[in-house]
Amino acid sequence: MLDTSKVFEAIIISLHVSFVSTLFAFSISIFFGYLIATKKFILKRYIVSILGSLTSIPPVCAGLIVYLIISRSGPLGWMELLYTPSAMIIAQFIIIFPIMVTLIINYIEREYPQLRDELISYGASQKDILFLLVTNQKGIYLTTLLIGFGRAVSEYGAAAIVGGSIDHVTRNMTAMIALETAKGNILIGVTLGAILISISLIISFGINYFKNDD
Amino acid sequence: MIKTKIFFLIFTLFFSNTFARDYIVVQSTTSTANTGLLDLLSEEFFLDTGIEVRAVAVGTGTAIANARKGDGDVLMVHSKVDELKFVQDGFGIERYDLMYNDFVIVGPNNDPAQIKNKKNILEVMIILSSPDYKFISRDDYSGTHKKELSLWQESGISIPTDSSYIKSGSGMASTINIANEMQSYVLTDRGTWIAFQNKNNLEILFENDKSLFNPYGIIVVSPKKFPYVEYEKSNIFVEWLLKGRGNNLINNYTIEGQKLFFTYN
Repeated sequence: MLDTSKVFEAIIISLHVSFVSTLFAFSISIFFGYLIATKKFILKRYIVSILGSLTSIPPVCAGLIVYLIISRSGPLGWMELLYTPSAMIIAQFIIIFPIMVTLIINYIEREYPQLRDELISYGASQKDILFLLVTNQKGIYLTTLLIGFGRAVSEYGAAAIVGGSIDHVTRNMTAMIALETAKGNILIGVTLGAILISISLIISFGINYFKNDD
Repeated sequence: MIKTKIFFLIFTLFFSNTFARDYIVVQSTTSTANTGLLDLLSEEFFLDTGIEVRAVAVGTGTAIANARKGDGDVLMVHSKVDELKFVQDGFGIERYDLMYNDFVIVGPNNDPAQIKNKKNILEVMIILSSPDYKFISRDDYSGTHKKELSLWQESGISIPTDSSYIKSGSGMASTINIANEMQSYVLTDRGTWIAFQNKNNLEILFENDKSLFNPYGIIVVSPKKFPYVEYEKSNIFVEWLLKGRGNNLINNYTIEGQKLFFTYN
């Protein structure tokens, strides 16, 4: 019953989409996280609160927003993104960006004040401080990556709406689990879930290995 | 330099699947997907013509709404009235009869409402509207839900509002799963039922009534409305289904020896 080539395909789609969305969200989170945490500007507290509240955006809702934007009749319809992995990447980005940026803001806000005073007295530039903030505590960034990736790869609602669960194209692991469960193949659904968790476990081990490398 | 490279890498990974459009998007229903028919047709059509079929399986209501937004080249659903309205409103060129099967009422095999020997479906609906018997509704404007609504209307009773009338809001097979857990009655198309793998003690309790006919139609989305529709490729697909090898594939598609869908020729 369980077609291994299809499972393999679904794993590849899941990993591709979630890796790219996590990388995207991570790089942009570092940029904005650093800006928001180190600069003083009006409405700062509100922006941080809004980002914090967006950490609980329901995936289905994120999916619908992306759908409305990239649908043929939406503003970005001409890009033909709907029902492609790219659409899933955008939706996952919206879900995980607030989480990652909030974690990073928290960390930099805690570390930055001491670090700045110390380093500026040594003549370090802003750029050096940013660099040190990132390299000094690799663990925190790796954890952020792991959390973002975990949320992206396990998410179903958004990817299903904008991806459409199309065979060979956008049917990732979670879409396949949902489909098999819907067909009544509950055991296959559970098996696929176990495979997904195993993959996450391997990734988690890998990241923790780097973390302890400090 | 590295920055540009990284940017380029992410960019290609992001857009890797979006440049060429050598595929058509088919908006279809959960009943054709859950039975595996859609996957089979997509694969075989690709082998015959080299055109990829990307099938999106949602309820009929959602499929039509998506197609009205231009998010699809072909609409393949089962709610004739809505399909004709879709064409009438100028969103489709013409509706063709694709295939059919029928609806059945499924429920726990001890049949608490005793509908097994009833003569017509309207009588059955009146019995099931009683608060004594659980009935699960799809409640998602799918073809099956629309059928259920029209059955209530035909039997001249209003839709039950008590707690024995359960609204699942899910796809067909998911809804049968729920019916299984709650030991309740449910209206389903025969195809989904045959393909369903978790039947337990549910069984068909009422079938073979003229009102339970379930026709599927196919419509190519109008290129006048949405110029980017892959009109020619879509027409090849429709022809292939109506007259070509696709027709035989539908007719010969069986699960556990049972035919799921019937074509007209």
